[in-house]
Amino acid sequence: MARSFKGKVAIIQFPGVNCEYETADAVRSVGLGGDLLRWNEDPALLEEALAVIVPGGFSYQDRIRAGAVSAKDHIMDKLSELASGGRPILGICNGAQVLVESGFIPGIHWERVDLALAPNVMEDREGYYCAWTYLLREGTDCVWTAAIAPGDIVPIPIAHAEGRFTTDDGAVLEEMKKNGQIILRYCTQAGLVDHSFPVNPNGSLENMAGVCNREGNVLAMMPHPERATWLRQVPEDLAGGWGTRRRRAGGDPGKMEAAGPGRIFFESLKRWKEGGA
Amino acid sequence: MKTEARLWVRLKVIDLVAQTAWMTLTGKMGFAGDLCGILRYSCWMMEAEGDSAAAVCEAIDREIRMDSAFTNQNKHLYSLSVSGGGKEAATGDLTIERDFPRLDCGGRIFACDLFVSEQGGGKDKGYASRLNERLSGVKVTGMKSGEVWRVLVRAEDLEEAARKVEEMAVTRTRKHGLLLNPHYQAYEFIGTTEITGQ
Repeated sequence: MARSFKGKVAIIQFPGVNCEYETADAVRSVGLGGDLLRWNEDPALLEEALAVIVPGGFSYQDRIRAGAVSAKDHIMDKLSELASGGRPILGICNGAQVLVESGFIPGIHWERVDLALAPNVMEDREGYYCAWTYLLREGTDCVWTAAIAPGDIVPIPIAHAEGRFTTDDGAVLEEMKKNGQIILRYCTQAGLVDHSFPVNPNGSLENMAGVCNREGNVLAMMPHPERATWLRQVPEDLAGGWGTRRRRAGGDPGKMEAAGPGRIFFESLKRWKEGGA
Repeated sequence: MKTEARLWVRLKVIDLVAQTAWMTLTGKMGFAGDLCGILRYSCWMMEAEGDSAAAVCEAIDREIRMDSAFTNQNKHLYSLSVSGGGKEAATGDLTIERDFPRLDCGGRIFACDLFVSEQGGGKDKGYASRLNERLSGVKVTGMKSGEVWRVLVRAEDLEEAARKVEEMAVTRTRKHGLLLNPHYQAYEFIGTTEITGQ
């Protein structure tokens, strides 16, 4: 029997990604169906998918530039068609790089590459950087953040070497701001958008951590919500309410299986599916 | 005496990044009829002060041979050339002027060297000070580091060759451009030569 993605979330498995299985688990954690689709399978299988996620990792080993080679793959033609038709698409980390290199984000001029995810710029260091960050929810309505109230702060981990959102087109930046497309910004635990490292962990313009398209169905985010989907994934020493919850749950396997802060992105999709977004 | 030095470094073995660029440009982006070959180098373009071009060449060569930030003798080939005051000097195990893949490509062929660097030159100061900490009698006063894509294209003339390479390289849309993203990278042609028949 042919595989079907009807009503499910398809997670695209480009060669070199490494977060596809845990992303599928994160999708399933909210009761949605999630399955992998290899980049070279028939893109028509995506027709009936509820949504598509381009997961994190190192597609094509980040050769040439992170996300650049995947953006040219045949399957992206189908994603372009689905995205412009309003289908929810989420790019996480390397997936965000793919969506930016495909011109889906910011998507003001569809498929025109108006942004880059450039190498991190950090104080006294360079290269790959892993840390838990705090994200401030701002901006317009977006399928993937519908369950997060504007002004809320969500702790989510990052792990990347090329996560600095930037553009050399001031008009595009202004348009993004006007449209409320900067939906997630790096901030302090208290919600202050501080431009310095480590609050802004990669030198991202305007502290951008997640950018959606104008229509709100496509989101590119560098932090990894699937790595914060269960309470057990939250570090004990994380400052704030989530760290406190984690410490209280220590030693109780049942409590450790409770939701973590990242699950809300997948719950947002579920809410959209149920018509509540 | 002020001199200019240029260091080119490439892998001894097959460069899988260049191979991926080749496959993407020809297999997915429609350049199979134009692209005849592609090589990738790390490149450092320096200005230095020293007694003579030969002295600068010798001093820089001594340091870059021993510093894996520039070359690793186990895996790299390199070419270092220096010019200043009408004199030139060169060393290394790579003859950069004749470093082309074997061609099986008809028509007029041009080799275009596209230098790609990060806007703002993030690592340049670090490379200069790394060398200056070790050099004696020679001082590096200017540094531009980046990558050179040597793109071999079939074209009618140099202008058309450069235009085609720019089209292949500069990412403007999802389907156009691969080798650099102009929102954080700068580029310039540092050489375009006809190599038909070589």
